[in-house]
Amino acid sequence: MPDMFFEDFTVGRVIETEPWPLTQDEMLAYARKYDPQPYHTDPAAAAQTMFGGLIASGFHTVAIASGQFVRTGVLGAAGKGGPGMDDIRWLAPVRAGDVLRTNVTVREARVSRSKPDRGLVTFALEAVTDSGPVLTASVTVILGLRNPG
Amino acid sequence: MTRFLDDFSVGETFEAPPGSLGEAEIIEFARLYDPQSFHIDPQAAKSSPYGGLIASGHQTIAWGFGQIVRLGIFAGDATICGADMTEVRWLAPVRPDMPLVARGEVVEIRPSRSHPGRGYLKIRFSVDGPDGTVASFYTNTVMRLRAGGGDA
Repeated sequence: MPDMFFEDFTVGRVIETEPWPLTQDEMLAYARKYDPQPYHTDPAAAAQTMFGGLIASGFHTVAIASGQFVRTGVLGAAGKGGPGMDDIRWLAPVRAGDVLRTNVTVREARVSRSKPDRGLVTFALEAVTDSGPVLTASVTVILGLRNPG
Repeated sequence: MTRFLDDFSVGETFEAPPGSLGEAEIIEFARLYDPQSFHIDPQAAKSSPYGGLIASGHQTIAWGFGQIVRLGIFAGDATICGADMTEVRWLAPVRPDMPLVARGEVVEIRPSRSHPGRGYLKIRFSVDGPDGTVASFYTNTVMRLRAGGGDA
């Protein structure tokens, strides 16, 4: 992929990501470390909860969707990290065997006022499985300009 | 002991024992979920804006949440689901072995209009570095059962 810079992220542009098949092993490994609650870490206990089985940690699904975006490589040349995320909504449980498909759309782009060699781009992430939408989030990233003014 | 929604109070604070993220676990996490050079490659990270390897912000917030979960405040069967997370901010880089403390404060408790037996618990979390520097903060809302656990 040719290197991409701030100017390439025009509002409305869609970035394709690769599907992410989620295994129970991955869910357990993540949750044991970062979200050790029984419906994330213990299949037998999870079967007794209202979810009726193991579900992925919400932090995990956000990390997967954002990771799918990062893996596209579009931030590789110009990405300088980011100030944060907003409006994360978990719409439905995600289970082992689900395949996450994440769509990324440029929602907003502006050049930094304090550092005119870079800009802030806000991306809308939407993750779905075969059952429907599971997550929406807004992620803001700092990107260098190809042609700083 | 299960803490129901009504067992929390606005202004209540939580503080987890101190901890840190090591270089190996920073790289392991980022290879899966945030493979940018300043999270996975210590050499390349030196010439990044951060001057060295830093943890993925996703790892920082999840680490902080895990630390709070281990306090046991969400134990039992009163959690219904995570609803949302707002205003996630990564303010300062988290470097390998940097001392970190996870904190939380209950900022809102709101009964559900449609389900009288349920309500929303909103907690503002932070992961703080040395000298009280805030490395990141985020506000998470979960739906929980109300006192007595009678769902309706």
